[in-house]
Amino acid sequence: MNTQEKIKILYVDDEQHNLNSFKATFRFSFQVYTALSSDLALEVLKKNPDIRVVLSDQRMPDKTGVQFFEEMRGLLPDPIRILITGYSDIESVIDAVNRGHIFRYIKKPWTDADVASAIDEANKFYITNTLLKERNEELQAAYDELDKFSYSITHDMRGPLLSVLGAMDIIKHLDDLNEVREILDLMGSTLNRLDDFIKSIHEYYKIKRGQLEFKEIDVNAIVNEVTDIFKVAGRMDQIEFKTSVEQHAPLICDEVSLKIILNNLLSNAFKYQQKSNEHKLVELTFNIEKEKTVIFVKDNGIGIPTEHIENIYKMFYRGTTQDSGSGFGLFIVKDSLEKINGAIDVQSVVNEGTTFKVTIPVKGNDTVK
Amino acid sequence: MTQSNKLNFIIVDDSPLDCFIAEKVVRNTGKAASIKSFLTAKSAINYVVSAPLNENEHTIIFVDIQMPVMNGFDFVEQFEALPMAITCRYSIFMVSSSINDTDLNRVGNYPSIKQFLNKPITSNNIAMLISNF
Repeated sequence: MNTQEKIKILYVDDEQHNLNSFKATFRFSFQVYTALSSDLALEVLKKNPDIRVVLSDQRMPDKTGVQFFEEMRGLLPDPIRILITGYSDIESVIDAVNRGHIFRYIKKPWTDADVASAIDEANKFYITNTLLKERNEELQAAYDELDKFSYSITHDMRGPLLSVLGAMDIIKHLDDLNEVREILDLMGSTLNRLDDFIKSIHEYYKIKRGQLEFKEIDVNAIVNEVTDIFKVAGRMDQIEFKTSVEQHAPLICDEVSLKIILNNLLSNAFKYQQKSNEHKLVELTFNIEKEKTVIFVKDNGIGIPTEHIENIYKMFYRGTTQDSGSGFGLFIVKDSLEKINGAIDVQSVVNEGTTFKVTIPVKGNDTVK
Repeated sequence: MTQSNKLNFIIVDDSPLDCFIAEKVVRNTGKAASIKSFLTAKSAINYVVSAPLNENEHTIIFVDIQMPVMNGFDFVEQFEALPMAITCRYSIFMVSSSINDTDLNRVGNYPSIKQFLNKPITSNNIAMLISNF
C-alpha cells in the first residue's frame, strides 16, 4: 500500500505516550493523526474532513470519550467512531452505544490485530455509508429531473398534438383550398417541432445511459457528416458555413457524445440568425493539440442577452422566442461534455453573434472526477 | 357584467398554429369586432399599454401559460400593475396544454384571470364564454 492509498485515522488520548506508541504501531498501515484532547481532535477533524475512522480513549480529563463522540456526531457525522477503554462497566457501554453511536468497543489492553481489524471493518462501513449517501443524492437529482421532465412532456409533447387536433377540426369546415394549405404548413412545422423534441429526448437518454466508447475520431469525416446533415435539412440556404480543421495529434473521444455536441451547437447557430442579415455566417473550427482539443462554433446571429447566459444550460430553458427551440439542446451539450470531462464556454453579443468554445481533454477518461 | 357594444380579442401564444386556430375559432363566432395575435407576451403587453381606450368596448385576452422569455403569468403580473382605467377594459383567460396542479393553483392567485381553459380552444367554449359579455 502506498501513502496515497492509506486511509486517514485519528486517535484521541490524553497521554502523549499512548499517542506515540499507537502511531508507531499503525503508521505503516494507516495515515495516523493524533490529538491530546477532544478540542484538539475536533480541530484536526475540521482540517481533515476525509478522516474515516476516529478512535478515542474513554477516560480523558476534559470530557469522556462518549461525550466527545456525542459532540463530534453533531458536527461531523461521517467518520466512524471506535471507543477504547479499560473500564467496561455496563453503564458506560450503554452510553457509548446510545449516545456516542459507536461502531466498535475495544477493551484495554488491546492487541494490534484487534485494533487493525476494527479499523478495517470501520473503513468498510464508512465506504458503504458514503456510497449510499452518494447514491441517494444521485437518486434525488434523477427524481428532480423526472419531475421537470414530466411537466415538460405535457407542454412540449401534448401541446403540438392538441394544436394539430384543433387545426384538423378547423379544416373540416373550410372550403378555400389555399386556406387549407396554409393550415397544413403550420401543422407541418408544429409536428416537426414535436419530432425534434422527441429526437432530443432520445439523444439525451442515449448519452445518459449509454457506455462511452473512446476511440480515434476521423475529424474530417465528422465535419463532412455534420455539413451534410445541415445541407440536407436546408439550413444552409443563404447561410455561409465555414469549417477548418487543424490537427496536430489524434483525437480520442466518444463519437456519439461528440456528434451530439456538434449537432446541437450547430443547429442553434443556424437557427438563431438575424433574419435581416445579408451575410449570415456559421463557422466550425477544430484545433487538435496533444494536450487538448478545442472546438469553436461561431455565428453572427442574434446573440444571447447577458441576463440569459447563466441559464442557457438549464433543462427546458429558452432565452428567445425566435424559431422553434425546445430548451433541451444546450442542456444535452453540457451533459455530454460532463461525461467526457470536457468544458464549455460562451461569448455572446446581442445582434453580433455567439461563439461557443468546447474544450475536450486529450483522453476523456483520464481526468479525475 | 355590463353589456359592451363591441368585443375585441387578443391572442398571446408563441405557437403560430395555436394563434391561427384561436383566431379562426373566434372569427367563426361572428361576434369579434377585432382580433389581434401576438407571438410574445412582451409585444402583447406593449400593445395593451398603448392601445386607445374606447367607450363601450371590451377586450378578451387569451394568454398561453408556457412561453419562453416572458410566460403567461409574467404577462398577467405586468398587466395587473397597469392603471385601473386600462385593466377594467380587459378580461384575461389563461390557456394551456398542461394539466399541472401548480399552474392550476397559481391561476387563483391572480384576480384578473377570469378562467383557465384547456387547449385547444374550441368554438363551444368560446361561445359559452362570449355569452357572458
